[in-house]
Amino acid sequence: MSQHIMSAFDRDLEAVQAMVVKMGGMVEAQILDAAQALEARDEELADEVRKRDKAIDTLEEQINEEAARLIALRSPAASDLRIALSVIKIAGSLERVGDYAKNIAKRSNVLVQMPQINGSTGAIRRMAMTVEAMLKDAIDSYIQRDAALAADVRARDVEVDQMYNALFREFLTYMLEDPRNITGCMHLHFIAKNIERMGDHATSIAEQVIYLVTGEMPEDNRPKTESVTAFDEAEN
Amino acid sequence: MTMHATNMGNSLYKTDPLTKRLNAAEARFRIYGMAAVAFGVLALVGLLTSALGTGVSAFRQTFVEIPVMLDAAVLDKSGNRNPEEMAKITTIGYAKVLETAMVAELTERGLLNDRVSAKDAGGLISKEAPAQLRNMVLANPELLGTTVEFRALANGRVDGFFKGRVTMESAALDSNISPAQLELAQKMRELGLLSVSFNWGFITGPDASELRPEAAGLGVAILGSLYMMIFVLVLALPLGVAASIYLEEFAPQNRFTDLIEVNISNLAAVPSIVFGILGLAVFINFGGLPQSSPLVGGLVLTLMTLPTIIIATRAALKAVPPSIKDAALGIGASKTQTVFHHVLPLAMPGILTGAIIGLAQALGETAPLLLIGMVAFVRDYPAAPPEGFLDPAAALPVQVYNFTQRADPAFIERASGAIIVLLVFLLAMNLLAIILRRRFERRW
Amino acid sequence: MNDMRLTERTVDTTEIKIAARKVQVYYGATHANKDVDVDILDKTVTAFIGPSGCGKSTFLRCLNRMNDTISVCRVEGEILLDSEDIYDKKVDPVQLRAKVGMVFQKPNPFPKSIYDNVAYGPKIHGLTKNKAELDEIVESSLRKAALWNEVKDRLDAPGTGLSGGQQQRLCIARAVATSPEVLLMDEPCSALDPIATAQVEELIDELRENFSVVIVTHSMQQAARVSQRTAFFHLGNLVEFGETGQIFTNPSDPRTESYITGRIG
Repeated sequence: MSQHIMSAFDRDLEAVQAMVVKMGGMVEAQILDAAQALEARDEELADEVRKRDKAIDTLEEQINEEAARLIALRSPAASDLRIALSVIKIAGSLERVGDYAKNIAKRSNVLVQMPQINGSTGAIRRMAMTVEAMLKDAIDSYIQRDAALAADVRARDVEVDQMYNALFREFLTYMLEDPRNITGCMHLHFIAKNIERMGDHATSIAEQVIYLVTGEMPEDNRPKTESVTAFDEAEN
Repeated sequence: MTMHATNMGNSLYKTDPLTKRLNAAEARFRIYGMAAVAFGVLALVGLLTSALGTGVSAFRQTFVEIPVMLDAAVLDKSGNRNPEEMAKITTIGYAKVLETAMVAELTERGLLNDRVSAKDAGGLISKEAPAQLRNMVLANPELLGTTVEFRALANGRVDGFFKGRVTMESAALDSNISPAQLELAQKMRELGLLSVSFNWGFITGPDASELRPEAAGLGVAILGSLYMMIFVLVLALPLGVAASIYLEEFAPQNRFTDLIEVNISNLAAVPSIVFGILGLAVFINFGGLPQSSPLVGGLVLTLMTLPTIIIATRAALKAVPPSIKDAALGIGASKTQTVFHHVLPLAMPGILTGAIIGLAQALGETAPLLLIGMVAFVRDYPAAPPEGFLDPAAALPVQVYNFTQRADPAFIERASGAIIVLLVFLLAMNLLAIILRRRFERRW
Repeated sequence: MNDMRLTERTVDTTEIKIAARKVQVYYGATHANKDVDVDILDKTVTAFIGPSGCGKSTFLRCLNRMNDTISVCRVEGEILLDSEDIYDKKVDPVQLRAKVGMVFQKPNPFPKSIYDNVAYGPKIHGLTKNKAELDEIVESSLRKAALWNEVKDRLDAPGTGLSGGQQQRLCIARAVATSPEVLLMDEPCSALDPIATAQVEELIDELRENFSVVIVTHSMQQAARVSQRTAFFHLGNLVEFGETGQIFTNPSDPRTESYITGRIG
């Protein structure tokens, strides 16, 4: 896409998009650190993650303000308008992902007080890494305006769903085996659910990229796993 | 908190060299302009003072007022008051009557002495006066036998004496007047027998022969010019406006119309005398129209004025904003409706101004009229139109030319007077143009 | 302040009022319009946008044959108004222009009274039998142009004495008075302030109930605000023509995209 006749318009658009990319990087780090804190039972790192969420929230507000300014002052049309709109939506998604990471950190500090449940934190960490990779690719597809990569991100959400379903069953088994595991497993289940929701947000960012590039929202035909619970259905 | 920046070097309070040069150039140009305007104003003032200085006196004239006994025995020998019979008495007879009356009056007042003969006394009166007296009597035969207060034109030299043109010294060398006669005239003035008053005769009267400058008037010339102007107005305005509208709004743009346009522009620059030759060849020699007639003069001036009117009208039509034309066409007005409902009314002030300026130009034109015989000496008023268009007549500018050709210095004053009349007419026409423009002018 | 807001009017029509096919316009040696195909729908506002000199005004002026007044202008192709070719030899442009009215860039009221401005069209077309009918047309036209309340007490005042926006609405009233079927507007708001512009835009949206409106505009926002369909012209070509929302959010041609987003290209 060539430059605008008014170069200040280009600078504004670049600035707000740079903020989104920066926010994406911050959120990715949060996911990895939260998972790390959980597995390593590292209370300090967990506190660090909880603290850093503030900055992400502030950045989202800034992005929204910048986007509103852009719409008011530059009257963007067509692809410019789509940039302004997608920036708001992506920032919103990233902020939610940040909140989930913060929630994971909070729960991991509670879990530190309890006996460790074998192997499950490693599975959660792998799941978190998968989601982090999805988010990274979604942000990359945004930077490169790569609709194919975005579509790939979208397709990968099914893996996360499968991982969540597997964990769900695993936690059920643990809780049936020993009722003392119930508290820990409930926390771990919420963590897994949070990561699964992160994947949904990464997917939504990828959809924004597709809208931004093609001008059209992708049709709702992405692959889905059969849900394990009735309320899971309701949530989607 | 805002702060004031400090000036770095180039203060606005100091004029830099470039600005100084620019200002100097501007000041110089203003001076040139003012000098040019001043020169123009001076030239105009010079022209006006010269014309007014010598010409205003033409509007004042010396008259001799004496009681004249109209002796029926002399003036109506048959005694039956038949105007045809009475017409047999020529002006010479009336001159004698006037001379007798003059001598009688002067004797009574004790002004006659041995230095002034009866002939000299009669010589104070213009040679035109007997003719005027005769016309008066022939028009009113019942005056015969009575004594009337007759206001006779004074001789041109006597008139000149009171206007300062004739002095005792010049009279001593002049065979037409003597210092003694002038002294007598001076005394008569003191007694009120001789007075200076406004000269209607100059404006209404016909031209007079070389020996009677005091009787020379512009009546025939004014009438002739008026007839010609009517002609020009009636012919040139509709023709010119119609041609302009066609060329501006309807004519296709091609080589032929280009040629016509170039020719119209060129015609406006053709020397006016060429039109005179054309008029002579076409209207008089070929068309057989009478010489010196306002008809031929009007036709020639029409030809001369047409290009001016066409150019002015086209400029006025062009000045009508195209948006008005678009507006009319846009709601489905035809071309003719557009032109006549909108374009023409808006162009009217310009057209009228152009027409009047063209008319003024025609009014002041001399050269072509000389060639078609309007330079002839015409004493008879042309009849009322339409027959009058074929009668010989003079024209104002030609009359000026005629006056300047004559030997008697009194005609210089007449010529200047005629110029003043001409200028007044032109001024009036320009004023009319301004008034019309103001009147019709509309904003859009 | 209701009249400053564009109220939603749903007009569903797919009836084609004017159909242009392979229209070529030449100005002397310049090829001003190349192969223009446009369908102007009835009771719809169609906007023509594009950079200066792109041929949008030229094409607009073909629709009521205003280009006929320019001798070097030549039009080829087919323009059908209600399935009749307006460039047919049998068609008199004067008659056509009564059906296809026009409003111009600069407000150009005649230097006559407000009443006479509006009454002129009906008068020359003989639309009325008497003064009462004429009065009625003048009033209804001024009402349609949303000007009646402002001028009803001074119909004898000169039209040129009104403000710019009022003058333009007077010109619209004048065009409406001959009850045209199509109204062409050549940048009708370019000489107006934002308030007057909004009033004229609201008026255009109202006129859509009765007329098919075609508007040429330099303001893309204006095209977006008032039109249902937008045509983008570039270098004499019709680049893109479609539903206005579509053109402004997701144009299909990169030239359209560059133009509406203000890019070099």
